Amino acid sequence: MAGPSGQASWRHSDVGSAAVALAIAAMAFAVTFTFDTVPAALMQGLGAEIFPRLVLATIAILAVILALQARNRAPEPQDAIHPMVYATTAAMIAFFGGVWLIGMLPSMFVFLVGVGWLWGERRRTLLIGAATGTCIFIWIVFVKLFGIVLPHSVFSELLF
Amino acid sequence: MDAFLGGMAILADPYIMTMIVTGTVLGVVVGALPGISGSTTTALLLPFTITMTPTAAIAFLGAIYCAANYGGSITAILVNSPGDPSASATAFDGYPMAQKGEAGRALGMSAVASTIGGIFSVFVLIVAAPLLSRVAYNFGPPEYFALAIFGLSMVAAIGGDSGVKNLISGAFGVLLATVGLDLTTGVERFTFGVYELSDGIGLVPVLIGLFAIGELLVQASQLNVVATMLKLDAVRLPSMADFRKCAKSIVLSSGLGTFIGILPALGATTAALVAYNETKRWSSHPEEFGKGSIEGVAGPEAANNAAVGGAMVPTLALGIPGSSTTAIILVGLIVQGVRPGPHLFNEQPQLLYAVFASMLAANILYLMMGLFAAKLFARISLIPNTFLWPAVFVLSVIGAYGPNQSMIDVTVMLVAGVLGFLFRRYGFSPAPLIMGLVLGTMAEETLKQSLIIFDHNWLGFFSRPIVVTLFFVTAAGFLAPALTRAWRIARRKAA
Repeated sequence: MAGPSGQASWRHSDVGSAAVALAIAAMAFAVTFTFDTVPAALMQGLGAEIFPRLVLATIAILAVILALQARNRAPEPQDAIHPMVYATTAAMIAFFGGVWLIGMLPSMFVFLVGVGWLWGERRRTLLIGAATGTCIFIWIVFVKLFGIVLPHSVFSELLF
Repeated sequence: MDAFLGGMAILADPYIMTMIVTGTVLGVVVGALPGISGSTTTALLLPFTITMTPTAAIAFLGAIYCAANYGGSITAILVNSPGDPSASATAFDGYPMAQKGEAGRALGMSAVASTIGGIFSVFVLIVAAPLLSRVAYNFGPPEYFALAIFGLSMVAAIGGDSGVKNLISGAFGVLLATVGLDLTTGVERFTFGVYELSDGIGLVPVLIGLFAIGELLVQASQLNVVATMLKLDAVRLPSMADFRKCAKSIVLSSGLGTFIGILPALGATTAALVAYNETKRWSSHPEEFGKGSIEGVAGPEAANNAAVGGAMVPTLALGIPGSSTTAIILVGLIVQGVRPGPHLFNEQPQLLYAVFASMLAANILYLMMGLFAAKLFARISLIPNTFLWPAVFVLSVIGAYGPNQSMIDVTVMLVAGVLGFLFRRYGFSPAPLIMGLVLGTMAEETLKQSLIIFDHNWLGFFSRPIVVTLFFVTAAGFLAPALTRAWRIARRKAA
């Protein structure tokens, strides 16, 4: 669907997606110029930068095709990203801080209780019980059975 | 034959059998959870294989793959929310049947049809995969390069509706595969000084992030959707009359599902939808479809489970994944140090027959579970999101961290998760990215080897008949839609 004046419309979200893909491809292409060079005498076959550049050129061509395909399409209404998505992403990032501060298993417990509460669960006993059960399961299966060493907190690193 | 019998003998090993039973139970349980697809289930459970022997890990993954596909039908019938996209066609008639108080009949038929379709496709896999691998046994790097390009071109057909978006997603996957040390020159690429990235981006964190964390963020925006489960009457075997009514659709759909599954990139969802249409077309009572027809449950269920075995044919014989779930299984095999392809059939046939045996066993096991424990599995689908998804996050963290015990992998998982969410939001499918990541390394390595063989003459590719054929098929795949459209326009103008 063309714009009101009959001219091409570039407001479809695919145009934005194509622009992002192009920008990423351009940046990555620039990064390929920073790769270490190999002396010609030692060189065998393709240089390290050639294949990534071929792929990036392909992405760029496909992004242009995507934008051209979308140019005459009417923009589709799209809801704003739900605030809970931001809150959950923030909780996941905070989890990393928690791992550094109190270790992985306690952070998991806090995350399970915190995000459960954030998502609307108000049955405290059930929430704490489920979080405790999940952490015990992870400890038994992954730590005891599989022998995975979980990251310790900064305090335990200092103490031991 | 000896290797096949040897493979089947693994079923007598209590440890392997325990893994198969565990994989089947976990596959059905996790597959029954709404929003968790077969791919997510496999990605989430992949870390459990870390410490297993290759045979046990492969048997475990094979069982999960079969069972997760069946598990998806439980919620499709009871909650009208398919646990797996491939079960969406099952919901068309399964849910109306449940509304009429026939949930047990629908679940019983779903279990039986799934088992028949699944076992049929495993037998096709047992016959077709070795044959295909024999054809591919003499392939050299140029043929593998052409095969990788063909596989990558096929990503246009998987996932979302837009072929161009799928190709962009796949190309980004190939780009991610270039991260790390270039093996030919020793040059570091896109590592930005992070030494943990020298070995490349871990496949496991990326796929857990894309599928599990991406879906978690989607669920975070849908917290107001409440699933209500209908009453489940006693799950019972379909009657002889039901069997007679559905026999034709099960046979037709098993064949269709297996065939569609074998085609690269066309998976269980396509198989189920095509089978639903064909079942309706060939049915004596097409008017019952959509209102609770038992044939409408039998057809798609036989097809989507038949596609499972079909999709394993190119995965095992050529190392080219037939679907996103088989791409994840391929990753699981690579993590175990096993690279599927024609050489595997000669070098480690017992591993392949372990896959066949585990898939056969899983099909029989989930039939029993479906008939005797469907009520229990149905309850699982009602676990509130407030408990389920935070638990998915912590399992994902441990899954990404486990293989290398590195927090960088957890960071990669989180970034991939956000990317997966944005992909879904803007109509990109994460499945092609995984295919690109898996096939990217193969494409680059074989391109470099080929150019050394051809003394840097790119035209050398055209001296190999198989390469030319594969390039032609790839090009035809790209051009066919445009040519068909042009032909239709020309015909309309002529008329």
